[in-house]
Amino acid sequence: MLVCGSPYNLKEGLVVRLIRECENVYTFHIATEESAQPGQYNMLYAFGMGEAPITIASKGEGYIVHTVRAVGDVTRHIDQLKEGDRLYWRGPYGNIWELEKAFGRTLLLISGGLGLAATRWVFEEALRSPVRRLLHLYGSKDYENLLYPYLYEDWSSKAEFHIILGRSHPHWKGRVGLITELIEELELEEDTVVFTCGPDPMVKACVKLLERKGIHPENIYASLERHMKCSVGTCGHCMIGPYFVCKDGPIFRYDLIREYFEREEV
Amino acid sequence: MEGKGKGRSYLLKYEGLEELFWRLKENYRLIAPKLKGGVILYSEVESLGELPFGYRNVEMPGFYRLDRAEGFFTYTHPVNSLKAFLHPSELTLMKVKISDGGLEFEVCYPEGNFCFFDVRACDLFALEVLDRVFVHKNSHPDSYYRKLREGAFVVAVNCTYATSNCFCTTTGTGPEAREGYDLLITELREGFLLEAGSERGGVLLESLENKREAREEHLLQKRERLREAEALMERHFEIEGLPDRLYGRMDSQHWKHIEKRCLACTSCTQSCPTCFCFDILEKNNLELRESERVRVWDSCFSPAFATVHRYNIRQSVHSRYRQWLMHKFAYWVDQFDLSGCVGCGRCITWCPVGIDIRQEVKTVIREG
Repeated sequence: MLVCGSPYNLKEGLVVRLIRECENVYTFHIATEESAQPGQYNMLYAFGMGEAPITIASKGEGYIVHTVRAVGDVTRHIDQLKEGDRLYWRGPYGNIWELEKAFGRTLLLISGGLGLAATRWVFEEALRSPVRRLLHLYGSKDYENLLYPYLYEDWSSKAEFHIILGRSHPHWKGRVGLITELIEELELEEDTVVFTCGPDPMVKACVKLLERKGIHPENIYASLERHMKCSVGTCGHCMIGPYFVCKDGPIFRYDLIREYFEREEV
Repeated sequence: MEGKGKGRSYLLKYEGLEELFWRLKENYRLIAPKLKGGVILYSEVESLGELPFGYRNVEMPGFYRLDRAEGFFTYTHPVNSLKAFLHPSELTLMKVKISDGGLEFEVCYPEGNFCFFDVRACDLFALEVLDRVFVHKNSHPDSYYRKLREGAFVVAVNCTYATSNCFCTTTGTGPEAREGYDLLITELREGFLLEAGSERGGVLLESLENKREAREEHLLQKRERLREAEALMERHFEIEGLPDRLYGRMDSQHWKHIEKRCLACTSCTQSCPTCFCFDILEKNNLELRESERVRVWDSCFSPAFATVHRYNIRQSVHSRYRQWLMHKFAYWVDQFDLSGCVGCGRCITWCPVGIDIRQEVKTVIREG
């Protein structure tokens, strides 16, 4: 047996741009030449705090994009970083959105809350791909928590991008309600491909509705969020049935994961 | 006499065994069973005499006692397992220091160079299981496990006795040590039968002075002694096809019955030779200039194990027990192409309320 590098070795990159999205949510552009693909995530490290799995929200020339909500010790620490600070991480880990499946077909993206960070990059790729019809539904609990508002104009001009808020706001002229209401109104072909990321209950409710509209769970892909420590299929925390979300996922074809995802406490 | 392994088989007296021990001691850190605090534990040993020869572990659900018996390798496996050495309960992965405007990382590798002396079939199989989890079936092989496992010399011993908690005939992992060892010892009436399982084991065996060639009758005696151990165990369930039967029982009412007894104390996962789950903790110095990333054993029974957004997905104890049992016997097979249970019975012995996993498996697949 050859001794190879530690799977926990960290990489370093500078925060080249910082965007405040909303309260407790920041987007970081990290300088790196590392390769990655839409759907994958990195383990971001905060000194003395630990690591957190964060989806790669996008990628540009020489940088990757991470959107981090300060919900735990690690993310609270990361959200204090300023432009010019160094960020340490390891990755990329996990599988990717199978965008080719949607070539020549309708692609429907459904994002809930911070789940938009996990669908943003594949949406940007889809805008440049031979997808026949591209729809993106985004549900946010309120106006204050909307992510990436600076991108909406561009997205709306290139695809059917619709937002629905959980509650109304004086500045909001759009829809208020549940994301399922937007799905309800759609005319979808049976071979529509669906990519979704959001809170578990949202995903379950959307799938139920989509199935009623004749879309087969084989064509629905969901990016899941589970507790992760190692991200390489060894620590056991992220298991859901026989799958390790960290390495077999985070994206799963719904018919394969349903058994475990929909059953209580698996 | 040609043994089934590599090269010839030999019969050794106690002196021969001692010679073997000292030869190994020259090159390795010897880990062997030893009496400690009233139980038999794998420990680092300095001489062959430290092994618990003539002791017999009596085990029942939630019960452990040591008796005396006639012979040498009169016990079964120790209370702890080789996991304690290859996947230590606490291991520093790296040290992180704050330096000029950045962080410095120092990867810490533990010292291995082990010889595991007196490993029973169940624990030998557990080695294979851990090898797959950490290295062979892992796309990011664990360099720490590798470092500790690399070059480890394994001296296996065939069990000639089984406790009432042993069920290696059910899991198909024992009592005969079949592969994964360098040397194999079987205690016979007139001495110790030694067979080599590897090239280096064969070379070492050939180089011993205190030995004589084994004869056909000795190999027959070995079979008899193994049958003695087998006869002490009953077949509890059919392991073939067990994953499919369990997958069909995830909504069994029996899980909730187990919850009435299970304390979620994590004894089973700690004592299990294959349970590998861990957490990574940060150990910081008071000045907050240095931090160690430390890997510690965790358990699917821990109240925060599957926490997402401060909420543990497995709130109920029965869901945690189901996770453990399903992982061991079903998920594991999908993940690593073999069962995670080696039939050692440690979880039965060390469960403070004596939950017997054999019984629970039987009830779950029978009652549905």
